[in-house]
Amino acid sequence: MRCIRALLLAACVLGSLVLASVAPGHAQGIPQNIPRQDLLILENPEGTVKNAGWFNIWVINASSQSNGLQQAALDTLWYIDPESGLDGVWDNSLAADKPQYNADFTEMTVKLRSGIFWSDGVEFTADDVVATVMTQIKHPAMRFSAVLTSNVASVDAPDPHTVVFKLKKPNSRFHTNFTVRWGAIWILPKHVFDKVEDPVKFDFNKPVSLGAYVLHSYDPDGKWYIWQLRDDWQRTTLARFGKPGPKYLAYVDPGPPEKRVIAQLNHELDVIHDIAPEGMFALAKQSKTTRAWFKGFPYGHPDPTLPAVIFNTQNENFRNPDVRWALALLIDIKAVAMAAYRGAATISAIGVPPTGTHPATYHAPMEDWLKSFEIDTGKRKIKPYDPTIGKQIADMLRPSMGDQIPTDPADIAKAFGRGWWKTDPVAAQELLEKAGFSKRGGAWMTPDGKPFSVRVMVEGDLRPVMTRAGTMIVQLWKQAGIDARIDVAQGTLPTRRAAGDFDTFIGWSVETWGGHPDLSYFLDSWHSQFVAEPGKPQPLRNWQRWSSPALDKIIEEIRTVGFDDPKSIELGKDYVKLAVKEMPTIPLMAYNVFTAMDQTYWTGFPTAENPYTNPVPNWGNSRYMFVRLKPAS
Amino acid sequence: MPATTLSSISGAALSGYAGYVGRRLAQFLIVVFIGINIAYLVTHASPIDPVEQSISAVTSFGNTAPDAIEQMRNSLRELYGLGGTPVQQYLTFWKRILSADFGPSLSAFPTPVGTLIVRALPWTAGLLAVSTLVAWVLGNLLGGLAGYYRQSRGLKLMGVIAMGLHPIPYYILAMLLLILFGFIWPVLPISGGAAMNLPQSLTPEYVWSVLQHAILPALSLILIGVGSWFLGMRSLVSNVLAEDYVVYAELAGVKSWRILTSYVMRNALVPQVTGLAMSLGGIFNGAVITEKVFGYPGLGSLLVDAVYAGDYGLVLGVTTVSILGVSVGVLAIDLLYPLLDPRVKVG
Repeated sequence: MRCIRALLLAACVLGSLVLASVAPGHAQGIPQNIPRQDLLILENPEGTVKNAGWFNIWVINASSQSNGLQQAALDTLWYIDPESGLDGVWDNSLAADKPQYNADFTEMTVKLRSGIFWSDGVEFTADDVVATVMTQIKHPAMRFSAVLTSNVASVDAPDPHTVVFKLKKPNSRFHTNFTVRWGAIWILPKHVFDKVEDPVKFDFNKPVSLGAYVLHSYDPDGKWYIWQLRDDWQRTTLARFGKPGPKYLAYVDPGPPEKRVIAQLNHELDVIHDIAPEGMFALAKQSKTTRAWFKGFPYGHPDPTLPAVIFNTQNENFRNPDVRWALALLIDIKAVAMAAYRGAATISAIGVPPTGTHPATYHAPMEDWLKSFEIDTGKRKIKPYDPTIGKQIADMLRPSMGDQIPTDPADIAKAFGRGWWKTDPVAAQELLEKAGFSKRGGAWMTPDGKPFSVRVMVEGDLRPVMTRAGTMIVQLWKQAGIDARIDVAQGTLPTRRAAGDFDTFIGWSVETWGGHPDLSYFLDSWHSQFVAEPGKPQPLRNWQRWSSPALDKIIEEIRTVGFDDPKSIELGKDYVKLAVKEMPTIPLMAYNVFTAMDQTYWTGFPTAENPYTNPVPNWGNSRYMFVRLKPAS
Repeated sequence: MPATTLSSISGAALSGYAGYVGRRLAQFLIVVFIGINIAYLVTHASPIDPVEQSISAVTSFGNTAPDAIEQMRNSLRELYGLGGTPVQQYLTFWKRILSADFGPSLSAFPTPVGTLIVRALPWTAGLLAVSTLVAWVLGNLLGGLAGYYRQSRGLKLMGVIAMGLHPIPYYILAMLLLILFGFIWPVLPISGGAAMNLPQSLTPEYVWSVLQHAILPALSLILIGVGSWFLGMRSLVSNVLAEDYVVYAELAGVKSWRILTSYVMRNALVPQVTGLAMSLGGIFNGAVITEKVFGYPGLGSLLVDAVYAGDYGLVLGVTTVSILGVSVGVLAIDLLYPLLDPRVKVG
C-alpha cells in the first residue's frame, strides 16, 4: 500500500509541476517573438488549411484565399466597398481610372498606376495584367480560365501602363471580373510565372506580394499565417490612404465558436469573423473591449447577401406564383428572426439585401409601391405588405434588451429592416385553393390529390442560423396543414443545389456589391439562357431555376447600359417589382455576420457609425481596415 | 497458472504455431482487402460530388459568369481524373494502392494525399499513442490494485472517480477542461499543436511548446480512458481472485505482492492487452472530437473535412491507413496471444 500511496503522490507532484511550469500570464494562443502591440490577430474562417504551403491562388480550389493572401498580399484593378469606402465605394486600385468601354462594350481600355512595385522590387506593369489573362486562358485548370476564355478575344499592352481588352461579345460588366467584392481575379507576377514550367503545379511559395504585406511565416499544418508590413509599403496601392497600423497580421484558426469567444475574452483574437448570436451576446455582456458592427443589438454586420426560401420552380408544386405567395403568407417573419438570430436580424421583403447603399436606393424609395402592392387571392384583393414589422421586432425585443434597442424609426429600419409580409393564413388558403389545392381533414392536398409535401433543405450544423430559420418555417407551414419537413443536407448541399435535388432550401441566390446599386452581380445569372433542364446541373446563381421572359427583358436591357448608368437602378427596381409579383424566392433577411472586434490592442475598426469598410476579415476589401487601425495605447 | 513463455514451447508446438501464423496472415489479407473495397464502395456511393463542391468553393464569393461554369466543370473532371468507366476507376484505384500512391487530393489539389497524411499522422500518433498507453497503464495498474486490495479507502475512492468519469460524454469533459484551464485559470494553451511563429524543429523551445499544447487534449483522453480500463481491470481481477491457483497460492503462503503481480494481474491482463492492441490500431482513425475541440492537428479532422469536400482520394487514403492500422493491431495480438496465454490452442 505504501507503493500505491507513493505512486499517487508522485502523480500529484508531477501534475502540479506541469501546471506550475505554465504560470498564468504566460502567452497562450498568440504568436511568439512578435510584440503584441504590433500584431493584429484575425480569424481565418477557412479553419485549418490542408494545403498550407500552397499560395498559387490562380489554380482552382488549390489553396486558402482568406489566410491573408487576398487581404494583405494581392491586388487587382478595382475595389467596390460594400459599405461607404474610405474615399467613396469605388476605388481605382491598380487601375488609375475607371474602365473605358467602347460604344458597344466590345473593348475595354484600362489605364494603370505607375510606381507600384512587387515585394521583390520588380515594377508592376501592364505586362502583369496581360500575363494574368493569358496564363489562365492557356491553362483550363486555373480558376478564371473559363471566364476569361469565354470573354477575351485578345489582350494587349500598348504601353507599360495601358491594357486593352478586346472581347468576344459585348459585355458592359466585364470589368467586374477584376473588381473586388470579397475576391476577384488577382493580378499575378509575370516575372515569376514566366519561369515556371507548369503554372498549375506551381505552389508560389514564398508568394511575391503586390499588397502592403509579405508572408512572414506560416504553419505547415495550416493553423496560422503571419504577414509582415513591407518596408516599401509606400510603393503599394494601399499607401494612398496612409500607413497601415499593424506591422504584423496573423490569420489564425481559433477553432469552434466557444473557443473564439474564450480567445477574445483572453485578448488573443482581435477580430472574430463570425459566431452564433449567443456567442455575440456573451461577448457583449462579458467583454468591455469587444465591439461589433452595431454598438448594441443586433450587433452583426449585414452582408450584401440575401438568405431566402428558394423554391425549385421546376417542381410542379412550386411552378405557380400563387402557391409561392401562399407559402410566404404563412410565414411569421418575427418568429423566423427570433429563431434564426434571436431577433438580431435585418429583414427584407424585397429581393435585394438591406445593406450598404441598397436601403437608400431600393428599400426606402420602393416603400410606397410596396404599401400599395396588391395580390389577387381569387376571392379578393389584399395588400400584403406591413411596413411596421421592423418596428414590431424592435418593440418585441425592447423589454429584454432595454436601451440597446433603438427608438428612432430610421435607426430601427437600419438595424432591423423595414416591413415584411403580414402573416395571413386566410389569404394563403384562398391562394392555394385558387391554385387547385384542397384541404382534407386539416391537410393540404395538391391538385392531383397527393399530400402537399414540402422539404426544406438546410445545411445543419454547418450553417446553424439558416438551419434554425428553416426549422421555424417548417413548423409554421406544418401548423397550416402542409406536410413540411426539414431536410438536413449537411455537406451535400452544394451538390444537391446544383442538381436541383430539393423542393426548397434556405440559402441565397441574391448577392450584390452592397456599396454599388448595380444588381447584375447576381441578376445576369438569372437569365433564362442559363436555366438548366430538370436533372441537369444548374450553374450559379439561379438555384430556383426560374425562367421569366419579363426578367430576361430587364436583364438584356441592363446589359446594354453602363455600370454606373442611373438607368440600371430603374431596371433594378423593375426586377424588384417583378420578383415581388412572382415570388420565385421568399426573401427573409440579410446574412448578418457577427464579427466581433476587440479594442484592447487596436482601435478604429469599421462600425455602423463609421462604416468606411466591411469589417468581416475574410473579405479582400477588409484591407482598408488596416490603414485606419491605431494602437489602443 | 502463470502464463507460458516462449522458451517452454516445444518443437511440435512451434510447428503448430507456424501454421497458426499462416492462417492468421491469410485472414489479415482478406480483411484488409474487404475493408478497403468497402471503403471504396462507400466513398463512391457518397452523394457529394467533388466537382460541384470545388465549383461551389470557387464561385461562392467570386463574380463567375454562369456560361463559364460548364467549361470549369469539364476542366475539373479531367483534372481530378474522374473520367473513365467505373471498372477503369476501380482498377486505377488498386494500382495506386499497391504502389502506395493515393493520387492527388481533390480538395487540396494537386498535393498528393500521401503528403497530407504524412503531415497529419505524427500529431495523431503522438497524441493518441501516448495518451492511450498512459491511460492503459494507469487504468490497469489502479484497476488491478483496486480489485485486489478491495478494502483500501483510497482505491475505493479511485473506483468512485472512475465510475463518475467513465459515463461523461467526451465532448463535455473536453469543454470543461477547456473552460477551466483556458479561461477560468488560463494556464494552458487551448488551441493548436504548438505555439504560433515557432519553426517546426527539434529545438527545446519548440519541443516544450508541443508538450504544453498536448497537455489538455492528452489529459481529456487519459481521464476518459483511465476510467474505462480501471473498471475493466477491476472486474477481471475480481474474477481471477476466485481461481483455484490464486486460492492455492494464498494457502501456500506466497507473498501477496507476488500473488498480485505474477498470479492475478498477469492473467487478468490478457484481454486488456487485446483491448490495447485494438486501441493502438484505432489511433489511425484519428480523434475527431479531440482535434476539433482543441484545434489539434491530425488525421481525424483531415478525414471529416475530406468527407465534406467529397475528396475521394483523401477519404480513401485515411481509411486505408486506418484499416491497416486496426488490422495490423489485431494481427499482432493474434500472433502474440498463444505466447501470452497457453490456453489458446494453435494446432
